[in-house]
Amino acid sequence: MIGPLATGLIVFALVIALASLLTTALNKSMGTVLLVALGVLEIGLLVQAGFVVAALAAGEGPTDTATLIGYTAGTVVIPPVAAFWGVGERSRWGPAVIAVAGFAIPGMVGRMLQIWQGMG
Amino acid sequence: MSERAQEGRTAEGPTAGEGRTAGGGHGTGGGPGRVLVAVYGVFALAAGARAAVQIARQFDEAPLAYTLSAFAAAVYLLLAVALGRGMRRLALVACGIELAGVLIVGTLSLVDPEAFPKATVWSGFGSGYVFIPLVLPVLGLYWLSRRR
Repeated sequence: MIGPLATGLIVFALVIALASLLTTALNKSMGTVLLVALGVLEIGLLVQAGFVVAALAAGEGPTDTATLIGYTAGTVVIPPVAAFWGVGERSRWGPAVIAVAGFAIPGMVGRMLQIWQGMG
Repeated sequence: MSERAQEGRTAEGPTAGEGRTAGGGHGTGGGPGRVLVAVYGVFALAAGARAAVQIARQFDEAPLAYTLSAFAAAVYLLLAVALGRGMRRLALVACGIELAGVLIVGTLSLVDPEAFPKATVWSGFGSGYVFIPLVLPVLGLYWLSRRR
């Protein structure tokens, strides 16, 4: 796992979460910007998942492989599902759904880092 | 307060009629309910995956705790689906089970820590998940009571 990429993903996801909360607070529905940002986040998470899988295939990484794979899969699944679920709601609560995902991702990536470093 | 729910529906504009989820703005899965469904979905995923790993690898270490984790995950999944599709009664029952679960397990885990050597989502009233498991059922019941 790559520290800088993981850190970047955490920060980016938090920015998306805060921007979504702001959108909700301003009583606006989902905009293109949020969707594109979510797409970029998803690409980053896919890249990270690729690195994790490659490392595991090469026999590197932590002993707790199963949990790591679980979190990796979770991070990849959440943004698209959130986008789907958020776009369906054309009110201020659409972006609020994105905010939930934006806060879940940092938690999960953080746990992945801990497991990777053998602290989990 | 129901005006705010109405406002959410009018904001849907021309697409309001499409309503993929049963009832759209009428049901429990529209407006703020969407957020609730999203949170329940995340928790179902997180708790479910965690329980699956624990049960598969080290079930003997803490059978009760891991079974409870799996049960909690099932309740979360049930709630996400029930709220999302507007199955009010089912959601109400599941919320009740969830609230009872977090209160009972939370209390037991403090009174008798040895019964729960490994943490569940509901241990310590959900303190491992910033008490979200404790707040969720209350929010859920409140939301359901408003969407009568």
